[in-house]
Amino acid sequence: MGILDKKLSLRDRKKMLVGVWEDEDQLMAGAGELAHAGIHIHDVYTPYPVHGLDRIIGARRSKLARIAFFCAVTGLTLVTTMIWYMSVHDWPMNIGNKPVRFTPSWAPVMFEGTVLCTAFGMSFFFFWRNRLVHGIKNELLDIRQTDDRMVLTIETTDGMDEKAVLDMMKNHGAVELRAFHNGVQTVL
Amino acid sequence: MIHDSIIRDRLVTGDKTASDVTRDIARPILNNPMIAWKVGFTLSLIFLGIFGVSLLYTLWTGIGVWNINKSVMWGWDITNFVFWVGIGHAGTLISAVLLLFRQKWRMSINRSAEAMTIFAVICAAMFPVFHMGRVWVGYWALPLPNAFGSLWVNFNSPLLWDVFAISTYFSVSLLFWYIGLIPDIATIRDKVKSKLGKTMYGFFSMGWTGSTRTWARYELISLILAGLSTPLVLSVHTIVSTDFATSVVPGWHTTIFPPYFVAGAIFSGFGMVATLLVVARKVMNYENYITIGHLDAMTKIIMVTGTIVGIAYLTEFFIAWYSGNVYEQYAFTNRMFGPYWWAYWSMMTCNLIAPQVFWFRWARTTPWFIFIMSIVVNVGMWFERFVIIVTSLHRDYLPSSWVMYSGSLTEIGLFLGTFGIFFTCFFLFAKFLPVINMAEVKSILRNRE
Repeated sequence: MGILDKKLSLRDRKKMLVGVWEDEDQLMAGAGELAHAGIHIHDVYTPYPVHGLDRIIGARRSKLARIAFFCAVTGLTLVTTMIWYMSVHDWPMNIGNKPVRFTPSWAPVMFEGTVLCTAFGMSFFFFWRNRLVHGIKNELLDIRQTDDRMVLTIETTDGMDEKAVLDMMKNHGAVELRAFHNGVQTVL
Repeated sequence: MIHDSIIRDRLVTGDKTASDVTRDIARPILNNPMIAWKVGFTLSLIFLGIFGVSLLYTLWTGIGVWNINKSVMWGWDITNFVFWVGIGHAGTLISAVLLLFRQKWRMSINRSAEAMTIFAVICAAMFPVFHMGRVWVGYWALPLPNAFGSLWVNFNSPLLWDVFAISTYFSVSLLFWYIGLIPDIATIRDKVKSKLGKTMYGFFSMGWTGSTRTWARYELISLILAGLSTPLVLSVHTIVSTDFATSVVPGWHTTIFPPYFVAGAIFSGFGMVATLLVVARKVMNYENYITIGHLDAMTKIIMVTGTIVGIAYLTEFFIAWYSGNVYEQYAFTNRMFGPYWWAYWSMMTCNLIAPQVFWFRWARTTPWFIFIMSIVVNVGMWFERFVIIVTSLHRDYLPSSWVMYSGSLTEIGLFLGTFGIFFTCFFLFAKFLPVINMAEVKSILRNRE
């Protein structure tokens, strides 16, 4: 598995059903029922984080915390090595006749270096994994999905009863239903 | 289980919907600037000009134009440095520490407080950088390979710790702020009409679509960054305090400095947040988002941290007496009754006595009074740094080098000028970016628990 989450791009999606909601509770109920009926929800686009939705769509728990730990260990190692190289190995300085070796006075710089590497390393991974790149083309299904609308997408498969799915969405308060075919949306 | 809260007041009043939030908060960005903005921005530019002139004079003539060519070698410059770094701390406290404590009231004020952190750190950095005198060799403070016999920086020095702490603090705060801004920049991208606006907001929104997968990771990265920023913010002012505490100067050589400085930083930072937000909520019509409840919560923190700082003042005074060290005892007697008594008592009045008024509910819920008190807090915290730095240095171990110190016109100009930097940045931020975190505020409209 590459770092980039390929599920985030709509480029390769051939045919999808799209439901648009304006109410968070109705969306949650609708998404819950769809998932319960065994229909795989591709994604839901919301203007703010809706808690619990990630579990309904079957998103796996992020490994970001592990990446953060890895970056922290790397940062700590790099900074400690740098200080040791500069202060002990390359050019030891006699300061008040203090011993030239690892001392607690290195701790502040070690800590700051660790935090710096963790924050930037983890964020770089976050941007990459989530396809967040400066200047990338926006793949919006609804111009109001960053304002007040919530957009649920289902990738159609052979044998799927599309009418039943659309009815299910409509019954749970979807204000608009659309079909998405090769990048073009049609209001149903 | 999620349900409507029956005991907590609504954090956003006025029965707002998600689209109301977008409309209200994006209004200053999508419309022409208001008169108040234009007046404020012009005033800020005037102060920025004062900074420019004072800095040019300093660079052209030399660092001697500051009155620090005496035993008081840290005068207004380091006072201002500590003052501004402290102000920045409230931003991180609100966005990181209150996030870890799941305090949802932070959501209306975290964006502007984080912006304030960044601008305050920029102001703070000006002073140690230009105090170097030959600022063009400022990069010597960095651990870079060089041609001086491989002479590296001294990792045992708190001044070098400062270089690392402040630069890490600035860059991590900027990153935290930017990641938090991405969803809101995307909202503006989808609302703005001009082509330039679409391009700029499109560039900085990085293709944000609001996917549930991305939101889940976004919340996790915010939590981890908050977890990192919390010890970071404590380390920054701890390290700033060790600039003083690791020396042997009477009045500085004390172990209480790290917690005392951190509490003072949060105290002064909240003072500045209150100054800005009391005005912003009125001028920008954000009274439904930054409610009296928010002001109440902020003033409670001001009162608690002010009291912690006050206890620290009394503790160091007690320890100076209890230690039996005559130099320490003299340093503190001199602070209270020496030639700078007015600075000491201004500090005590503004920082310890004045915030006690917030025990009264009226004081905590009256915006104009909070505004005045926030200025008092800021004045008091500037005096705290002045008292610590100047009263300790102007009379130390060697009476023959005892001197009086007052800031030169250039030093005063530089200090006033940093307000120009700070407010110019803040006004530009208020014009081009959402002052309130729209996405987070939308998630608390229903007052769920």
